[in-house]
Amino acid sequence: MSEQEKINCVLQKYPWTHKSFFNRPHWTRRQFFQLTGASVTGAFLAERYAKAAVVTNAGAKTLNTAKNVIFILLAGAPSHTDTFDLKVVPNVTPTTFAPTPVNGITWPAGLMPKLGNQLSDFAIVRSMHAHALVHSLAQTWAQIGRNPAAVLGNVAPNIGSIVAIEKEGERTPNQVFPTFLALNSGGGVGGGYLPASYAPFRVQPNSGGIGNTTNPDGQTRFLSRWNMMHSLDDNLRLNSPNGKPMEDYNDFYAAAQGMMYNPVVNQAFGFTTTDSTRYGNTGFGNACLVASQVLKAQQGTRFIQITSNDGWDMHSNIYAANQLPAKGKLLDDGLSALLGDLKTNGLLDSTLVVMVGEFGRTTGALTAAGGRDHWLQQFAFFSGGGVKGGRVVGSTNADGSDTADFGWSQGRYVYAEDLEATIYSAMGIDWTSVRHDDPIGRGFEYVPQTGPFQFAPVNELFV
Amino acid sequence: MQRPGWLSVWSGVAVLTLSAFVVSRADDSSNSNETDLLPVEHAECTFFSGEPERFMDQTVRQRLRAGRGNFRLSALTADVTRTLGYVPPGSRTYSFDQTQQTGSIDSYIFGALKTNNITPAPKTTDWEFIRRVTLDLTGRIPTPERVVQFINDPNPTKRANLINELMASPQWVDKWTMFYGDLFQNTQVKNSTGLDRFTQGRNAFYQWIKDSLSNNKPYNQMAMELIATQSDNSFTDGRINYIVGGVVTGGPNQDIMDQMTANTFDTFLGITHVNCLLCHNGRGHLDQLSLWGSQTTRYQAWQLASYLSHTQARTASVTNGTATTTVWTLLDNTTGFKTDYTLNTKTGNRPARTAPTGCKSGQPCFYVPPQYIFNGSTPEAGETYRAALARSITGDFQFARAAVNYLWAYFFGQGLVDPPDTFDPMRLDPNNPPPAPWTLQPSNPQLLNALAQHFINSGYDVKATMTEIVNSDAYQLSSRYPGQWDPSWQPYFARKYVRRLWAEEIHDAITQSSGMPVSYTVSGFTDQGFPNPTYAMQLPDVAVNTNNGNANTVLNNFLRGNRDDQPRKQDGSILQALTLMNNQFVEQRLAATGTAAAPLIKNNLAMANPDLVNGLYLTILSRLPSSDEMTKATTALGGANRTQAVQDLVWSLYNKVDFIFNY
Repeated sequence: MSEQEKINCVLQKYPWTHKSFFNRPHWTRRQFFQLTGASVTGAFLAERYAKAAVVTNAGAKTLNTAKNVIFILLAGAPSHTDTFDLKVVPNVTPTTFAPTPVNGITWPAGLMPKLGNQLSDFAIVRSMHAHALVHSLAQTWAQIGRNPAAVLGNVAPNIGSIVAIEKEGERTPNQVFPTFLALNSGGGVGGGYLPASYAPFRVQPNSGGIGNTTNPDGQTRFLSRWNMMHSLDDNLRLNSPNGKPMEDYNDFYAAAQGMMYNPVVNQAFGFTTTDSTRYGNTGFGNACLVASQVLKAQQGTRFIQITSNDGWDMHSNIYAANQLPAKGKLLDDGLSALLGDLKTNGLLDSTLVVMVGEFGRTTGALTAAGGRDHWLQQFAFFSGGGVKGGRVVGSTNADGSDTADFGWSQGRYVYAEDLEATIYSAMGIDWTSVRHDDPIGRGFEYVPQTGPFQFAPVNELFV
Repeated sequence: MQRPGWLSVWSGVAVLTLSAFVVSRADDSSNSNETDLLPVEHAECTFFSGEPERFMDQTVRQRLRAGRGNFRLSALTADVTRTLGYVPPGSRTYSFDQTQQTGSIDSYIFGALKTNNITPAPKTTDWEFIRRVTLDLTGRIPTPERVVQFINDPNPTKRANLINELMASPQWVDKWTMFYGDLFQNTQVKNSTGLDRFTQGRNAFYQWIKDSLSNNKPYNQMAMELIATQSDNSFTDGRINYIVGGVVTGGPNQDIMDQMTANTFDTFLGITHVNCLLCHNGRGHLDQLSLWGSQTTRYQAWQLASYLSHTQARTASVTNGTATTTVWTLLDNTTGFKTDYTLNTKTGNRPARTAPTGCKSGQPCFYVPPQYIFNGSTPEAGETYRAALARSITGDFQFARAAVNYLWAYFFGQGLVDPPDTFDPMRLDPNNPPPAPWTLQPSNPQLLNALAQHFINSGYDVKATMTEIVNSDAYQLSSRYPGQWDPSWQPYFARKYVRRLWAEEIHDAITQSSGMPVSYTVSGFTDQGFPNPTYAMQLPDVAVNTNNGNANTVLNNFLRGNRDDQPRKQDGSILQALTLMNNQFVEQRLAATGTAAAPLIKNNLAMANPDLVNGLYLTILSRLPSSDEMTKATTALGGANRTQAVQDLVWSLYNKVDFIFNY
């Protein structure tokens, strides 16, 4: 027996007090082994470009109330106590915010009047906490639903990419839109280690539609080029004896061509001045407009991320006209029109709208610079897709600096991981799933299972 | 630094987390199936013995392994090359020589092929070879003149001569500065951790990588400098930006030590599982993945992280004349950074680090001293911890293995250990194989060790190893396989596997072949005195944009990654197709007349059809057309509008799969 082994024998007699890590539930490992064979999902059948993945899960019961997701990231982090968790601070909160009680909620009717009329259509989580107060880190955290500094954090796919790979099998052959669409999200998280077909299809909304879907020399020339290319290259592209991969590269061409000169694409991704005005005529509003049109087109898009890079990081002069009042209007115009159109089109019931910043802002009196700095306490917004409107989950203390009542089953703060679990559950995706196709072979957990606590969907929003 | 004996008592405390786990599991074992699946008891306390833990149903392990062998590469290769069976005229035929010199790459590869009764593909043609090796070594396609010259060269050593020529070219430096920039993760901002190196820091690091490669600095020296350098200014000493890359915002200092450790062991030893072990013991987590990892504890990983415990990375203001800038400093043994890795955190990005019960701050048990757990080495008197770490790492045979395996993975599309950073240190020695059911990890362990030894013997000369690789018959096999290919042969390298060109290579192949060069300004780079990049491969970072929006679209859609949370990828996508078909970047290179005309078209338009078609194929695809392609192309050119037909032909060639792939 080596010295090390002797030491270890001695060590086993002594208790080890630090338990938090292993307090996690035991089913994850046990059921992993039991279910590896039995509950392999059909996801690998849908994977066209990736290796077949073994996906295991614990058989969680999902809500399965939503067909689509619109995930809005308010990058920069809006002040929660000036908006969706309004705390009137005497001589600080502008009177123009016009705090008004609506169904027991104190609402800034002056700041966001249109949303105030839609309170019965959305719910607010007020017991949410961020993990970190650094913009880039926390924004990434919100989009991947896990710690970006953890082992697989640097290759973790966007939540939307997981939805895309899970829902790939539900696409029909005539659908031409990508499953995961990202609007105004150029710097957002991509598909991580998953194949590029599940990465976000990034679009900056433009009245003319999507870039590069027409050829500069016109459709006739394009078709002649297309035909020439095929005549010279089809021996490489079609009927490959070894099946999929090279045909898949041709599939990307076929899909690309399907999006070109396609009135469906132009209708959904382009827009009129009238509609743009109705959404506030802003970049954020246009993204909301395109999101609404894309879902209405029913062309296979299931997850839409909208990033509002509109300057929510208000460290100074937060109440100046071009700051919160302007951004509140921008949000009010775009989001209210989105909810309204989704409802008109009969899509709100099947479309989960989630809106969140990466964290909250300081509360009470303003800072010396007249602004609010970074703060962990924050809010999250939910609408549609089975969410019961008019509901508030959790509550904060008098100044909004901390949660007073968690208001949900887990009796703790709601975290980004819980939002992630909520999205998966609403979409009918088992959030306990583990994909065994990650590059280091560790197993990619849809919602992290090795954290200090077990993350869970916020079911209180739905029942 | 030698630890006192009694302190060692605590060196394995993390093991007890495990026993707590086993106990709680036992309480929970209502399901009888678990008997086969649970770990065996450790009555004789054999936790650190060589015996493998029985953690799972062996059939599950088999299935997971099977799922991981996807054979995608070989299928892809077969698809690309199926119709390239046509051999352009002028190729020399090589007699396939299987009497390879003992100890060479080929002796191992062809030995394994013979053992497994696999017939290798024929040697690649000169046409294929010059395009392949030029792209692989320099990231460029060869010029048509060089292709023709090479084909006509009767010298029997012309391939070796070409390799030497490419190795000595400045393009080689550009390409490998990009490669090692990827490996060392040299980007300005890492969103996953909130780190900002600032543009000047990124630029200085870029310049250091470039200079090191230009001077063919030995790789062990590069590694030592990257690991151990101290400096108070990351803008003037680019090297410290490597360790600074481990800075994590929003946590205790141990988070930073852990991340720096994880990065270092991933980059230089290819052991990414150290990152896992910095959060938890390997047992119960890495049992299917790594024999070494499954037997290694969090405490041992802390012993590695402790090498970074005396290192302080912080920003500081530097005043130069009237200008004040913020730089990173990386210094050792500064105030507050003189104690070893401390077990006193309950917050941060990793699980709590807690000292054993009853252990108080100030007592030795409260701290973890550094130890290089692979051989027991510790810092020597007068040596900084990081210098000791650099000494241990670069003196480790695994350091050479990891370095050559990264190269092999690049040149062959798949590492001898793959992915190349998932080394299992206990499954590498062919003379000491792991106990069943484990198998040796490298697909050819003898070759990996030989290549690593050659690398060491060469003085850690990166160029020498590359030269050895690309001169081998194994590298020069055709990607065409004449007989029936069995996908299970993939690990034996019986043919060359294709790869999609890098984003930068696509960009540069288009600008070079069209005769319309570029000169970009890059914010944070050219405005700081660096020359304008004239090829995308000269960009300092994959996360920078140029002043040309169309070029940026090309680069980003071809998935160059971001050196942080988006890896470089070879995947295809709809956006790639839309970009090559419709983006102005290609379109403007189809202009046939006027001042903006593309020289490729304008200068060749007057030629007779066969010469024109030959010229376009040679310039864009580095080969001549097949007779079928020639017939189709000349037929199209005989139509009403010849100029348009030429444009359409060029467009078609840029969208051909054998333009997009290196085959």
